[in-house]
Amino acid sequence: MKLLLDSSSSLLFSLLLAQLPVFTSGSPVPQRRPTDMDKLSNQTKNLMKLTQELLRDHAFDSDVEPHRFRSLPEMSNRSANDLNNLELKPTLSQLHTDLKLYEHHFEWLNKVSKKHHHPAVPKLVEMIREIKSLINLLHRQMLKVEAPRVTPATPSLPPHLPYHFDVLQSSHELLQHFKLFCDWAYRAFISLKPKVTVTAVQ
Amino acid sequence: MPGFLSGPVCLTVVCFLSWSLRSSCAQILADEVSDVQYGRLGSNVTLACGKSKIRIPVVWRLNQSSALPWHKVTSDGALLLLNVSHSAQGNYSCYDSDGFLLHVVKLMLGHPPGLLSISCQVPNHTHVRCSWVESVKTFLPSMYNASFRGNGQEWTPCIVDVIHRHCDVHQPAFWLTIHTLRITQTNGLNSETTFAQFSLHKLLKPDPPESLSVQEIAGYPKRLNVSWNFPSSWPIHDAFPLKFQIRYKPQGSVYWSEISSEVSSATIYDALAGHLHQVQVRARDEVNIDSQWSEWSALLLARPWSAYTTPDPEEDLPNNVFPFSSKPETFTTKPHNVVPEDEGNLGLVILLVLFSVVILTTVLSLIFVVWVRQKQRDHVTKQELASMVKMKSMPI
Repeated sequence: MKLLLDSSSSLLFSLLLAQLPVFTSGSPVPQRRPTDMDKLSNQTKNLMKLTQELLRDHAFDSDVEPHRFRSLPEMSNRSANDLNNLELKPTLSQLHTDLKLYEHHFEWLNKVSKKHHHPAVPKLVEMIREIKSLINLLHRQMLKVEAPRVTPATPSLPPHLPYHFDVLQSSHELLQHFKLFCDWAYRAFISLKPKVTVTAVQ
Repeated sequence: MPGFLSGPVCLTVVCFLSWSLRSSCAQILADEVSDVQYGRLGSNVTLACGKSKIRIPVVWRLNQSSALPWHKVTSDGALLLLNVSHSAQGNYSCYDSDGFLLHVVKLMLGHPPGLLSISCQVPNHTHVRCSWVESVKTFLPSMYNASFRGNGQEWTPCIVDVIHRHCDVHQPAFWLTIHTLRITQTNGLNSETTFAQFSLHKLLKPDPPESLSVQEIAGYPKRLNVSWNFPSSWPIHDAFPLKFQIRYKPQGSVYWSEISSEVSSATIYDALAGHLHQVQVRARDEVNIDSQWSEWSALLLARPWSAYTTPDPEEDLPNNVFPFSSKPETFTTKPHNVVPEDEGNLGLVILLVLFSVVILTTVLSLIFVVWVRQKQRDHVTKQELASMVKMKSMPI
């Protein structure tokens, strides 16, 4: 009887073992674990989507001549050619500094939007949370590759927005800038991905 | 005697001078007229007979003909053309009463420049081409000076092609919210500057994909393999991914089916067996959702693999009498991770059967094991009871 029991247990065990390949072949394509650079680019895309939603729902559909923000990250010196020749560490540091600047600007916008009871406040809170998340991810990556952290200069923000229209205009301007910044940052992250792999191998 | 001598000498000198003047003026007429005067169509135009004070009367000719458009000759010998039209254009020459040529001027008529209608094409992140159309037809040769800048930037030249009326900017600062183009058109009458503002990221529109190829797949009568190349104007770099849309329909059908791809190939799994299909592909920047789809590539015709070589009689039907698909059949699928339908289904069935057998066996084995254990427990309990009875019956 004991022999029978033992054999039945081993049969059961073998059956369970036999199921393993069945379960593993259940997913036809093995899932590749996202790298840190994948996470950075995905999070940037997520921010682009959020920005797009905010622009669609809470800003006006026209391109205004920008004038309010004087201390946004400089984009006039970035061309498509630069993306071909990005260096890993300086670019990560620069993007970190830029994101910190945007964080300050969005926090300011959130504060003034709250004052004017602007309906975009919940989305702005979400935006700030996602920017912080991207900054943390980026900081982790910077530590890995030993990229220096540069403290951004204190931004000069508009002192007072008396009218609701001013809030709308500022919101539109900031979001337009941020959308383009995210476009550039996303392209920078996917361009830098092979360079991070090389650094990791070395 | 000196008076007699001086008379013929003077006459000779005058004759020589008049001959030389005539010949030199004829030379001017034969060559390009150096002095050009511009006038507005429909206005009055005054042509002066040279710069210096001229003795009157003078005679004016147009293209060496004495027939002139509606005109007046003023007291100082100038020609006043009234309400000029295109027919008044030409080479005007004025002569003195002796028939000596005094002055030649070319009159060109037209309008001063108006504002330009400007449009810009952005086929990639490194090149902007802006072209323009005149809102006013000037009829006069123009010069263009074009400059370009992003907000907060200095003006940089936009390189002008006068013949094609466009200008090119290379490596613009693409990631700025607003860009401005300034074009100054100058002609003989006036100059006008036009400003145009736009967002490059919204104008971004790749050229259509190139070298589209559609191949049958042997053994699969419902499949077509579609491949293409990136537009040659698009930079091949990780930073500039494109996404593609492929549309196809059996020839004669009005409804397109669509699939999308992020690489430069895709497989159509639901082609109509034995039928000729029309296939096209277009591209768009994968990152920038404000950008535009390219135009569709040129149509390509292809037929899926067929076991029979004899032509299908239905193929001979005219294009507009397509016998199938009365409803729109447009859908979008991603070609990535698509399991081939035939083998996929068969494999899935086998997998399910195997899995059911395994589960059934496992359940049966478990029941068996539980049953065996229960039996064993019963047996042990009986043995214990028997031994207890035995023990009780034993004398202490």
